[in-house]
Amino acid sequence: MSTVLSFATSRDADGATVLAVTGEVDMSNAAEFSAALDGALSEAGAGPVVVDLSRVEYIDSAGLAVVFPHVDRVRLVASELLAPLLTVVGLDDVTSVRS
Amino acid sequence: MTRGDFETMSEASAAEVFAGGGEVGHDLAAVDWKSTPLGSPQRWPQSLRTAVSILLSSRFPMWMAWGPQLTFFCNAAYRRDTLGRKYPWALGRPASEVWAEIWGDIGPRIETVLTTGQATWDEALLLFVERSGYQEESYHTFSYSPLRDDEGATVGMLCVVSEETERVLGERRMTTLRDLGSDPSAIRTEQQMLSFAAAQLDRNRKDLPFTHIYLFAEDGTARLTTSTGVDQNGRSWPVEAVARGESELVTLDDGQALLVPLLQQGGSPYGFMVAGLNRFRALDESYRGFIELAAGHVAAGIASARSYEAQQRRAEELAELDRAKTAFFSNISHEFRTPLTLIMGPVEDLLDRAGDPETRAELDVIQRNALRLGKLVNTLLDFSRIEAGRMQARYEPVDLSAATAELASVFESAVERAGLTFKVDCPPLPEPVLLDRGMWEKVILNLLSNALKFTFTGGIRVTVRAEGDAAVVTVADTGIGVPEAELPRLFERFHRIENAQSRSNEGSGIGLALVKELVEQHGGTIRADSTLGEGATFTIRLRFGAEHLPASAIVPAGSAAPVSPAADPYVQEALRWLPDGGGEDGTPTPRQATHARARLLVADDNADMRDYLTRLLRSAGHNVEAVADGRAALEAARAQNPDLIISDVMMPRLDGLQLVAALRGDSRTASTPVLLLSARAGQEASIEGLEAGADDYLVKPFSSAELLARVRANVELARLRNHHARWRTALIDSLQEAFFVCDEAGAVIEINPTFTEILGYGPEQLPYAPVHPWWPDPASDPDGYRQVEEAFALLVDQTHGSYTIPVTHRDGHVLWVAASFNQVEDPDTGRRVIVGTFRDVTAEHYAVQREGALAALSLRLSEAESLPGTLPAVLEELRGLWQAAEVSAAVFTGAGVPVVTTATDTALRWEGLPEDQRQRLLAVRDKALLTPVAEESGGAGIALEHPDGTMALWVQLGENRPFTEQDRTLLALLAGHLGQGLHRLHQIDQQRETALALQRAILGPAQLPAGFAVRYSPATRPLKVGGDWYDTIALPDQRIGIVVGDCVGHGLQAATVMGQLRSACRALLLQNIDPAQTLTALDRFAVQLPGAMCATVFCAVLDPGTGDLAYASAGHPPAVVTHPDGTIDLLDQGRSRPLGVRSAIERPEARYTVPSRATLLLYTDGLVERRRRPLTAGIERVAGTIQRGRGAALEELATEVMESMAPEGGYDDDVALLLYRQPGPLELDFPAESTRLATVRSALRGWLARAGIDPTTAQNVLVATGEACANAIEHGHRHGPAGWISLRAAATADYLRLTVTDSGRWKTPRPAENPHRGRGLTLMRALMTEVTVTTGAAGTVVGLQARIPR
Repeated sequence: MSTVLSFATSRDADGATVLAVTGEVDMSNAAEFSAALDGALSEAGAGPVVVDLSRVEYIDSAGLAVVFPHVDRVRLVASELLAPLLTVVGLDDVTSVRS
Repeated sequence: MTRGDFETMSEASAAEVFAGGGEVGHDLAAVDWKSTPLGSPQRWPQSLRTAVSILLSSRFPMWMAWGPQLTFFCNAAYRRDTLGRKYPWALGRPASEVWAEIWGDIGPRIETVLTTGQATWDEALLLFVERSGYQEESYHTFSYSPLRDDEGATVGMLCVVSEETERVLGERRMTTLRDLGSDPSAIRTEQQMLSFAAAQLDRNRKDLPFTHIYLFAEDGTARLTTSTGVDQNGRSWPVEAVARGESELVTLDDGQALLVPLLQQGGSPYGFMVAGLNRFRALDESYRGFIELAAGHVAAGIASARSYEAQQRRAEELAELDRAKTAFFSNISHEFRTPLTLIMGPVEDLLDRAGDPETRAELDVIQRNALRLGKLVNTLLDFSRIEAGRMQARYEPVDLSAATAELASVFESAVERAGLTFKVDCPPLPEPVLLDRGMWEKVILNLLSNALKFTFTGGIRVTVRAEGDAAVVTVADTGIGVPEAELPRLFERFHRIENAQSRSNEGSGIGLALVKELVEQHGGTIRADSTLGEGATFTIRLRFGAEHLPASAIVPAGSAAPVSPAADPYVQEALRWLPDGGGEDGTPTPRQATHARARLLVADDNADMRDYLTRLLRSAGHNVEAVADGRAALEAARAQNPDLIISDVMMPRLDGLQLVAALRGDSRTASTPVLLLSARAGQEASIEGLEAGADDYLVKPFSSAELLARVRANVELARLRNHHARWRTALIDSLQEAFFVCDEAGAVIEINPTFTEILGYGPEQLPYAPVHPWWPDPASDPDGYRQVEEAFALLVDQTHGSYTIPVTHRDGHVLWVAASFNQVEDPDTGRRVIVGTFRDVTAEHYAVQREGALAALSLRLSEAESLPGTLPAVLEELRGLWQAAEVSAAVFTGAGVPVVTTATDTALRWEGLPEDQRQRLLAVRDKALLTPVAEESGGAGIALEHPDGTMALWVQLGENRPFTEQDRTLLALLAGHLGQGLHRLHQIDQQRETALALQRAILGPAQLPAGFAVRYSPATRPLKVGGDWYDTIALPDQRIGIVVGDCVGHGLQAATVMGQLRSACRALLLQNIDPAQTLTALDRFAVQLPGAMCATVFCAVLDPGTGDLAYASAGHPPAVVTHPDGTIDLLDQGRSRPLGVRSAIERPEARYTVPSRATLLLYTDGLVERRRRPLTAGIERVAGTIQRGRGAALEELATEVMESMAPEGGYDDDVALLLYRQPGPLELDFPAESTRLATVRSALRGWLARAGIDPTTAQNVLVATGEACANAIEHGHRHGPAGWISLRAAATADYLRLTVTDSGRWKTPRPAENPHRGRGLTLMRALMTEVTVTTGAAGTVVGLQARIPR
């Protein structure tokens, strides 16, 4: 059984492109996550992309590795559950925590 | 081996059960055993047959009891010593019937042996037995030891006994006799003596319940003097027989009394003694002898007291007589002078005036006799003056020659008239001599008068010479002389030489005594020399000068006074003796010598002197033996003790003083009187002699008469004194204990015949200086030597004490003696001496040693846990017991090589044994069982039954150690016990192996569900399996049944019951029956299964997903739950009675939820139960252990609990233990594929929730574990086809521990090369408390550990 993961792209009130991720990200589906992010980035053109991880229950280093190359354009939204992990890997400066 | 096998074996040899038992064996065989609980001997167990065989083969008195009625057996020695008339009736009867009369005493002891298995020991116990037709006071030293059957249960007892009645009675009586003879005070009055005797008799009321001592008065009536014990109310006794000197037995209402006369030597009895008799003892020879001896003591005491009283009276009379004599001398003499003066004066007047010759002649007679009387009175007065010190001498310088010649001239005419020559040779001396003229006059006139009286032919010669610093005056005659024997007494007052021919029989015998006194007043000496029939010479020596006289009595020279008128009476008297003087003749009155003949020993190295003394003493009627030196004298005296020893001081080999010392050092000659002769004059020499212990001292030259007088006096004195010594010697010699006296240095100086009898050393070699010859040889018996050394130190240092030591008889055999001693002061010498007694306790010692050896052997056997391990310890025990060089055993198993065990070398094999040793063991094997075989060379062997075959045992003693009869008995006894013990051990071995195998099979390698840890431990010593068990049952609905139980009892049977209960329980739970119902169903099962009653069970059903637990307990201790925070819950609900115990109440069930990470403990009572401690204390302890170990992994915790709860020396009951921690560990194995990760995560997430982990920690664990798994998948792929990954997770109270294991090899992370991939490990480290990565050939293990926040 492969890990359940789904994406939805939208715009927020500021006009930023939002990639909402639902499920779990691990090495088995990190490529899907990467493709979804690439899609969102190209959709946003030069604008920033908000990756909303607040409905992600699990993300491992494979998933995070997808984010790192784009930290200059990406802002993360995460649940309290994921916040400690993002802090540990040094993404806290681009992350806002949603309770 | 089963019971059946034993029986088959037994029947073959049943006829031999009583073989070798002699007459007793025969009579035992005749008993109708089928009617006893023991049944036919053919079916007796081996243990009983062995016991009977030991019993019958022993020469030591023994009896045994076996079986439910304690059926009685005994051997020949017991029959002889103790059983008496009860034989053979007693054989095969219940012991309580055989010894009904003393069952109250021995019953409880036997009961103790049977219930505790501990042997008893009683020494000289008083028992009233009826074996001789009456109730008899008897004493026994005995030990009861347990006898075990083939199963090891105590089913009987063996009694080893020595009959001590005679010893106890003998000691008691001897004590009384000793006390009777031990009056410490001096001789006392008759009544005091009788009171003392009565007090001593009263101290032994057992032999003398009452006593009366009657004395006969002059008229033959009997007067009661003392009474002891029971009052007889003035009963009158028949006196006819005792008055004749015969004993009489009188029967009373309540017993008997013996009347014994108090015999008087050579007279009618003093009286008689009434001795009440002990109702529990027959009046045998020894009893009668004791009473007669006691009466003898009393009689001797009366004799001694009466004789003392008589002597006392005589001495007082003599003293009174002496006082009267002195008064007479000092007072009466004066009273004569007045009437004499009044006679003399008128007579002289009448003579002057008388013209008539007839009247004148008659007046002459009156005057002469008055003068004579006056002279006598004056002499007596002189004596009383001298005696009272009132003699007033006046010494003036006198020309001695002139004065003496002038005095001599007075006698000239009288001498010439007697027809004798008279020579006066008195040349002038160079200087004057200080003289009291009056005294000197009396000296010379007395001597001349004396010379004239005894000289009939020849003449008298007076000479004066100067010799050195003295003037020597001699008065010599050619008269009849003086017999040599009389010379010493010549100068004694009133001594007269009887039968001497003289001119007159008149004479007071006072003249020469006065002469001697007067000469001595001048500081001079006088000596008489004489040869019988040839004359006598008196020699006076007077020193010149004044130093020897008191200065106050010296006066200047007066005028040369003429001879005083006092000379006249002497001459007058002398003239009266002459033929024409009208002599008076008397007839001699002969007297007989009255002294007794004595045996005398003379020691002098001078042959002439020896001959002279021998002749002299023989002439006085004595028996004389003469020897030439002190050594010969000592030997002669020891061979036959003389009445007196007369010894020179200076002698070769052993001088006189040394001789005295040696004689005094030997008890037999200590009181022999010694008279020393010495040429050394002076007080110091004599004091030295007397201090050495001589009784008298005589300086050479001595007169023969003086010697004879001294000899007589000493012999008589010694005879008086020896009376006591002889009595003492007789008493000591009659002692039944050995008696000895040691000096301060420990040298034995006196012994009695019993001493010689026990040790073989006689009085000839006395003294025995330490180290005494009976000490054990330090080389061959260092231990014995050390014991004696210690005892000797005690003897020399302590004032009193006692000890038991081994000693060597003169003939070499070893015996044991018990000695006691006291320090006393020798009343004669004041020296400290040690007086001791001892008796031969060899038999008792070996009995005690046997008991000790049996006890030690039994202990070894009871401590033993298995047959193979026991034998070396037992052999070592035997080696220690005999101090043997080696003890070896060989078990002959049949065809194979014998199995050898030795005490010293455990590695030794049959092939390694010396040939002679192999031959010995083979020879022993072929002998009859349990029959010792001894060798001259100091070794012995015995064959006994070993479970594997015949065992030959050989004890090799040290050099020259003989193997005694005692040793044989002991060896047989020990071998018998050993055989029994080995069989019992063998059975235990077999049973234990079976039970352990069964237990293991039942408890088995059952697959435990995850999260459980279990332990089972059998009791440590003796290693026993029991009925404890644990069980887990996987139920169909994922629940788990948990059971811990404990059956009553141990061993094979308990293990069997346990197995059945366990299976039943398992089956019931599998049918989905809840715990309480399961227990109720087991109740019905237990009622039908023997041994299952009262088993306790804790039964529970656990839902591991939720921790929900339904449980019920049948009398089992509560389970313990420890929360992660340390809180303790006791699962003590749902309790009810143990299995099979009927009750109307339904078994309850309780529910509980095991919290996350809590630890559940189930156990059996062996874990927590300790003697004398409440069960709750044990539960608290184990709860504490779990509390402290709640952070440890479950297996570690199980080990820790078992170890920390174990008592010192191990568990004494078996223990089952079951631990569970909620939740059980997570165990996942999956292929190394990334698609599996989500599933794994899901499972882990669920487990973490069950473990009660907070969401943050859970997320960290999930990520870290995910990283580890991702790595494993990556590395697993790199080197080949996908392998498997395994994930394990377990929780303790505070920690989570996870491991991820793969088959790949991790590369060293290089984050710089691949910054995104390398983050996995960094992440793990950041999220976990501890991360370990271990890479090996088989793969990589990642360990993760996370602390759980509180």
